[in-house]
Amino acid sequence: MDWFPVWLSLRVALTATALTLLAGVPTALLLARKRFPGRNVLEAMVVLPLVLPPTVLGYYLLVVIGSRGPVGQALAAIGVEFAFTWGAAVLAACVGSIALVIKSAQAGFETVDRQLEQAARTLGRSEWSVFWSVTLPLAWRSVLAGAVLAFCRALGEFGITLMVAGNIPGRTQTLPLAIYDRVQAAQMSEANALALIAVGIVVVLLFGLSRLVRLRY
Amino acid sequence: MWRPLLPAVALAWLALGSGPARAAEPLPLTVFAAADLGFAFKELVPRFEKALGVRVTLVLGSTGQLAQQIEHGGPADVFFAADQAFVDRLVAERVLLGETRALYAQGRIVLATASAFGRKLTELRGLTGPNVRHVAIANPAHAPYGKAAEEALRKAGVWDAVRPKLVYGENIRHTLQFLQTGAAEAGIVALSVANVPEIDWVPIDPRLHAPLNQATAVVRRSPRPELGLAFIQFVNGPEGRPIMKRYGFLLPGEF
Repeated sequence: MDWFPVWLSLRVALTATALTLLAGVPTALLLARKRFPGRNVLEAMVVLPLVLPPTVLGYYLLVVIGSRGPVGQALAAIGVEFAFTWGAAVLAACVGSIALVIKSAQAGFETVDRQLEQAARTLGRSEWSVFWSVTLPLAWRSVLAGAVLAFCRALGEFGITLMVAGNIPGRTQTLPLAIYDRVQAAQMSEANALALIAVGIVVVLLFGLSRLVRLRY
Repeated sequence: MWRPLLPAVALAWLALGSGPARAAEPLPLTVFAAADLGFAFKELVPRFEKALGVRVTLVLGSTGQLAQQIEHGGPADVFFAADQAFVDRLVAERVLLGETRALYAQGRIVLATASAFGRKLTELRGLTGPNVRHVAIANPAHAPYGKAAEEALRKAGVWDAVRPKLVYGENIRHTLQFLQTGAAEAGIVALSVANVPEIDWVPIDPRLHAPLNQATAVVRRSPRPELGLAFIQFVNGPEGRPIMKRYGFLLPGEF
């Protein structure tokens, strides 16, 4: 059996989860704490990827990052081709999953008692320190839940990836695309094996996380 | 909480790096082909690889989706479309090389009955029977075989009676799945995908629909256009034609 799709999907999902956390947590904090013009627009933009059909979203992304698109042409000028690479699969996974991180973390930050943060400030902590030692530890369950959802969504991403990364065996064929290909080719036993692996990855991840959480708290 | 997690994740990420690194090998010839070619090309491609000593990556998809990807820089060397209209449009847009364009088949459609249904239908009129509750065809709005199916049903004078029973597949493989699973009792699929154990079929008179001309061409951006052309010539050559014929991809002289 070809294990390439499994490794590729794990790498894509891990990278995408890391990137969505980096971009999503600050956005969630912003949405939870600040009132600013355009806030409602930003909130709507965040959930947009959940509303649009993935293949349509993929098509729009392709128009932007493809060889005829503005971003694609700018990248080509510096010798980088982004569409139809595994990086494009990461972008697809990020777009598909970032809403899950943001909405979940936002809910977590909104329930944090502001007075505890104030207390830390009166004790001379910087804003940066308040975030790391008070806000995040109080909201981490929601952030972790968002990260788990994002990882699972990234691992299962299909429609956007199909359009922007292509379904190229050995290069951009992720686990869900590989399963789809096998089903289309009526190779059901291979499709079943790959589907079982996908389930196995998520089971191991959730089991490991719950152990880790119980160990620490 | 985070401390043991971060190095573990970083380590896993690095370990997984060995996977996608395979892309560093010299790129094989990449063929974008309509999904209905899957069975035929699985048999044909290894022979081409052996004859020319090159590796081929076969990417199957719907013709419309593949055409969009090639238009936006998809890394294809050759494009096999289920409908020549897509090839002609991309030739006009100077995305495909017009001088390499070739016809590789005229598609045929068949009337298929799910084996589980029991009684095999032999004519389109049979689809109007009360026992047939779902009729699977490919979406006529964008799938060439679906368009041909609609034309045949109209010409046979049963379109209005069959219309409420229609279920649309995204492409011809998807349509076939409706029949293979027994979700639809009958349907119209391509001859090229009809030889599966779960269905019985009879050919539909090709005069009932406009010819399904299927064409191929080399992509202009391809760094090895001569190799792509060699593949097209192999498919239409003495080694390729018998395989193509066996899977129902007939040229006008081969009916």
